[in-house]
Amino acid sequence: MSNAFFLFNCQQATLLLERRADERLSAPTRVQLWAHLKLCPLCRRYEAQSRLLARQARPAAEAPVPDTLQLPAAARRRLQQLVDAHAGGPGSDNHA
Amino acid sequence: MDNVDKALLATPVTAPEPRQWPARFGDELYRFALGRVTDAVAAEELVQETFVSALAALPSFRGQASERTWLFAILKRKIIDHYRRQARSPFVSLASAADEEAPESRFFHARGGHWREEEYPTDWEVGSEEGRGDVLLEQQEFHAILQRCQQRLPPQQLAVFVLRFVEELPAEDICQELRITPSNYWVIVHRAKLQLRRCLEKNWFQDPAAAKAKK
Repeated sequence: MSNAFFLFNCQQATLLLERRADERLSAPTRVQLWAHLKLCPLCRRYEAQSRLLARQARPAAEAPVPDTLQLPAAARRRLQQLVDAHAGGPGSDNHA
Repeated sequence: MDNVDKALLATPVTAPEPRQWPARFGDELYRFALGRVTDAVAAEELVQETFVSALAALPSFRGQASERTWLFAILKRKIIDHYRRQARSPFVSLASAADEEAPESRFFHARGGHWREEEYPTDWEVGSEEGRGDVLLEQQEFHAILQRCQQRLPPQQLAVFVLRFVEELPAEDICQELRITPSNYWVIVHRAKLQLRRCLEKNWFQDPAAAKAKK
C-alpha cells in the first residue's frame, strides 16, 4: 500500500512543485505530492528554497543598483544626438 | 519618491520634450535596466531602444500618463523583448542542446529519480520561519550573489526565470512570448531553480566568509 506514496520520485515531485505554483493540480496528484513531501525532507527543503528564490528574484533585481550610478557619458551623448536629430526634423541624420 | 510625486502634481500636462529625456530620465532608466539585465552594454542599448521607440510613437503620446511613466512602460516592453530574443536565438538553442542535455541527470539518479547524494539540498534555515529567513536575506550580498548565479544560467532558463519572477508575467504569457509549451515551461523553471539553488548553496550558504558576515 505504502508504495502508492512513492509513485512520484524526487525529480517528479520537485517538477510538480513548480507546476503547482502556476496551476491547480488534479486531486490525486495533490495527494501524492503531499505524501511525498511528508516523507521526503530533501524535497521539503527544495520547496522552501524554490519559494525563497521566487520571492527574492525581484528585490534582487531592484536592490543592487546604487542611486549614484549614472548613464556613461558616451551613451548619454549618443542619446542626446538621437533626440536632437529627431527634434531637428527631416534634414537630420537619424538612421542610427 | 516623494519628490517625484510632487513633481508630477506640480507639472501641468504639457507636450513631451524629447530633448530633455537624456538629462531627465537617462540615469533612472539606465539604473532600472541595469538591475534587470546586469550587463552595462545591454542596459545602454535598452535605454536607446526605448528612446527610439518613444520617438516613433511620439504623435500618439497624449499626456494621460507622465512622460516618465510612459518611457518606463516602453522600457519594460524592451526588457521582455530582450529576453525573448536571447531565448529564441537559434545560436542559443544549438549551444544549449549540446552542453545541457537533460541537466536533471546532474541532480537526480537516472534510475529512481532520487536526489544524488552530492546534490542533497542542505538546510538553509529559512524554511519554516519566514521572518528569520527574510532578516537573513536582507543582506545585499545575497541579492548580488543571486544575480550572479542568474547570469550563469543558459539563456532560455534565464529568460523564463526573469520573466516569471522578476517581471512577474503570467506563465501563459511567457509561453507565448518564448513560443514554448506549458510542459516545456515547467521543465525550464525546474531546471533554473535547481541550478540557482545549487549555485546559492555553494556561494552563499556554504561560504565561510559569507557565514561570518551574517553575524
